[in-house]
Amino acid sequence: MSDSEIRAKNGPPQTELTGEIPLQVRFASLQAQTRRHFLRSFTAGVGSMFLGTLASQFAPPVKAAERGIDGTPRLDFTRDPSRPLSILPPQFTPRAKRIIYLHMAGAPSQLELFDHKPDLNKLDGQECPASFLVGKRFAFISGVPKLLGAQYPFHQAGKNGQWMSDRLPHLEKHIDDLCLIKSMRTDQFNHAPAQLLVQTGNARLGYPSMGSWVIYGLGTENQNLPGFIVLVSGGNQPDGGKQLWGSGFLPSVYQGVQCRSHGEPVLYLENPPDVSRPLRRRMLDAVDEINQQTYAEFGNPETITRIAQYEMAFRMQMDATDAMDIHKEPAAVLAAYGANPAGSSFANNCVVARRLAERGVRFIQLYHWGWDDHGTSAKDSLNIGFADRCRETDQPIAALLTDLKQRGMLEDTLVVWGGEFGRTSMRENRNGQVMQFIGRDHNPGAFTIWMAGGGIKPGMSYGETDAMGYEIVKDPVEIRDLHATMLYAMGFDHRKLTYSFQGLEQKLTSVKPARVVAEVLA
Amino acid sequence: MTFSVRQVPCRLRLGLLALAPILLLSTLFAFLPPDGLERAAWAQFIGRFHLLTVHFPIALILIAPVLEWAGRNPRFPYLRSSVDFLLALAMLSSLVAATLGWCLARSGGYSGRLVTQHMWGGVSVAAACWLCWLLRRYFRGPRLDFIYILALLAAVGLVSWTGYRGGQLSQGENHLTEQMPATLRKLIGFSVRSQILPRSNPAYFYGAYVEPIFVGHHCYSCHGPEKQKGRLRLDSYEALMHGGKDGPVVKAGNVKGSELFHRVTLSPSDDDAMPPQGKRPLASNEIKLLELWIAAGASSTLPANAIKDAPTTPEPVVAEVTFEEIDPAAVAQLRAPLAREVAQLKQRFPDLLDYESRGSANLVIDASALGARFGDDDFAAVKPLSEQIVIADLSGTAITDRSALLLAAMKRTRVLRLTNTKITDATVLALGGLDRLESLDLYGTSVTPACFKVVERLPKLRHLYAGATKIPADVPVSEDMKGKLLF
Repeated sequence: MSDSEIRAKNGPPQTELTGEIPLQVRFASLQAQTRRHFLRSFTAGVGSMFLGTLASQFAPPVKAAERGIDGTPRLDFTRDPSRPLSILPPQFTPRAKRIIYLHMAGAPSQLELFDHKPDLNKLDGQECPASFLVGKRFAFISGVPKLLGAQYPFHQAGKNGQWMSDRLPHLEKHIDDLCLIKSMRTDQFNHAPAQLLVQTGNARLGYPSMGSWVIYGLGTENQNLPGFIVLVSGGNQPDGGKQLWGSGFLPSVYQGVQCRSHGEPVLYLENPPDVSRPLRRRMLDAVDEINQQTYAEFGNPETITRIAQYEMAFRMQMDATDAMDIHKEPAAVLAAYGANPAGSSFANNCVVARRLAERGVRFIQLYHWGWDDHGTSAKDSLNIGFADRCRETDQPIAALLTDLKQRGMLEDTLVVWGGEFGRTSMRENRNGQVMQFIGRDHNPGAFTIWMAGGGIKPGMSYGETDAMGYEIVKDPVEIRDLHATMLYAMGFDHRKLTYSFQGLEQKLTSVKPARVVAEVLA
Repeated sequence: MTFSVRQVPCRLRLGLLALAPILLLSTLFAFLPPDGLERAAWAQFIGRFHLLTVHFPIALILIAPVLEWAGRNPRFPYLRSSVDFLLALAMLSSLVAATLGWCLARSGGYSGRLVTQHMWGGVSVAAACWLCWLLRRYFRGPRLDFIYILALLAAVGLVSWTGYRGGQLSQGENHLTEQMPATLRKLIGFSVRSQILPRSNPAYFYGAYVEPIFVGHHCYSCHGPEKQKGRLRLDSYEALMHGGKDGPVVKAGNVKGSELFHRVTLSPSDDDAMPPQGKRPLASNEIKLLELWIAAGASSTLPANAIKDAPTTPEPVVAEVTFEEIDPAAVAQLRAPLAREVAQLKQRFPDLLDYESRGSANLVIDASALGARFGDDDFAAVKPLSEQIVIADLSGTAITDRSALLLAAMKRTRVLRLTNTKITDATVLALGGLDRLESLDLYGTSVTPACFKVVERLPKLRHLYAGATKIPADVPVSEDMKGKLLF
């Protein structure tokens, strides 16, 4: 038989069977290597190097373990690399399918909103007890500060008589829908690390945000929009920067996409003048082809991510513009939110949040900057700036809740409101001086957040602070507990939503044991 | 008749002499019993080998009757010839095991009925072996053989019982029946887990609030009739006031000086904390109750309502969520019947539907992201799966009343969203059979109050969203519907 006859009989030569390790396996093997592997394999002398080489030759390719550290089967989050955002079922029956997180950047004062402390009001102006200062670090307070009572009157609202101040008249109508957690605690007392802790479960850079974890775990239904969208208002980016919605070590397709409610939703999303949609398509096809070649060569899934991102941007040109365009809302709706399509505002972002929720976006993150009321200037004071922030957010949040409730979406939307820490029971005295405006310093020891909707018990309050509102005396909730509770609502055991990186099964709640706050679950 | 040692044959004397160590051990047991105190660590160390050595005599005693029985077969008569040796060995090894056991019990802080029974059981096993050995070796004959068989069976029974008590000692009282399947339990009439209930009069503070704390925290398992760690019993008022090895644990009127109060208020990670590490600590109201009771004189006859402001309503136990374990094989089996249809539909509409969870075969369909691109004809593709769907979101799609039949066939649906669609009353009127429907969302449709005829009869319905419809907010509805109707 000639060569050609053999080929005809056996088909084309089978290159896959020549001992090539599949790309994914090779990549997984490289990713599983840590510095320790390196040191173990290649230290101390030629002998161990020789043995190390031998060992690595005969070792089987590293395969992702099917069982976690606790011996139970690991959840599989692998997807078709070209569709990294496709939906996956949650671990168990979820109570919520999407999250709207309203982060009040700068940390609003719980003592002016929800944490009613009549005893503190009585002691207003007195020197704070020494026990408040022992072993504490403050951002600015120095010497012996004076106690500061609430700056606004409190009253009871709703069926369960929840205490709240007069600053949130619109939200008050929804007080029976909210679950207040008055015993939140953090271990960070500066904005950027504290915001990182709230958003990524870790005070250091480089960890995936909760939105990234959620869309990594569940994917998103609408492939024409990002699954995790971020909207910023208040005139400034939050101090934690864009890392707050970064994807850390997760593939970057899971990072949050920052959009705008005014003008182009995503900068440079529109085609430039004279570039038509078919022309754009042809350009993308060419780029995709080059990227496919790169992937075939290196096997890095980030290349696939890149292709998927280009494709999504192409689809977004149509859908995102429509979703973000609040001109399409009736005037009555815009008025209810206090939104003005001509500018950009938190109110506009709340309208957009609802439109995105309706379109199947999984995680919608709003930041409103400007709550850092130290009392250094009028706009950073409890008596002026704080009241403005309340006015800017109160009506839109209430309107958002109304809209969600009316459309039946509060059933499966988890809404979370909160800052990154609390504020002190003492008036800030920067450099030991009495300041012109009234303010409070950072207090990581206690703050209030609220949750509403999907799977959360409405009309309740959880946890207690002491008579001065300074420290927690009952049912403390750590940030990781909040994360565990949110993931529970989304249908996950927080210990099972993991990603192997640097020799750890990484998870949102990090390594310390976290607790699902079962008491606040409906 | 006189009896003298000289009449006994020389070799039998040796046999009788073997009783001496058994008697010696018994004396030891009688005069130095385990008393709940901890002693030298080396004695405990040696004692731990009891758990290893104890299985040797057990096996020997159990094998002896087997050899006797099998040896009756003319093919292996030789089996019976080793039984003498086995019995002697069983006696010796049970003596060793019993001695080690005593070391463990005496120095390891054991006391109580269970350990006493186990200890005397052990020495009785040695005695029974000795008796069997003596009978078999020196007293043969048709009638004596019968006695030997009885003695052997007694030894087997004794070793089983002693072993069982030993198991209870180390593994817990109900170690054999703990995991018994419920069906088997029912079959043999085995009572479902017995529980020690408070017995004191609940008209008094002690019986009403103090004793239930001990019961609720399983204190009796270590400080009760069976075991008395630190020689402390808590299962009666008298025992509690008597205290443990270091004296009383409750000093009437002296909260700070009461060891009991001190121990339960230690940090759970403290070595001395009670209940011990890993067990649920006392709740704050339980600690308060103990404090108030001791401060008020720790009397057994203090009336239950004597202390004002006592936190008598139990705090809810810290709620824990549980996570179901997913068995992939079972899930695959559950999904198998419709797996092909699901795969096909996923191929056609990616991200349209998926399973409700990783452990379930229920389906969730959400077409809202497809919007107007999804119409009646597309929806018809779902038909083979209609019975599996539990949540359906068709908001903003182009479906019309033509899909009513398919919607009506989705009998297991819990949540149905039809907001901003062209459906009318006709569709809603077809939904009468959805007896599991909990939430029906008709926001933004043109339904009218006429649809109440069916909606009112949906047994599980909790929410009907009727905003932006032709149903006016002040529509007269039944009292029952009033709470469900949302605008």
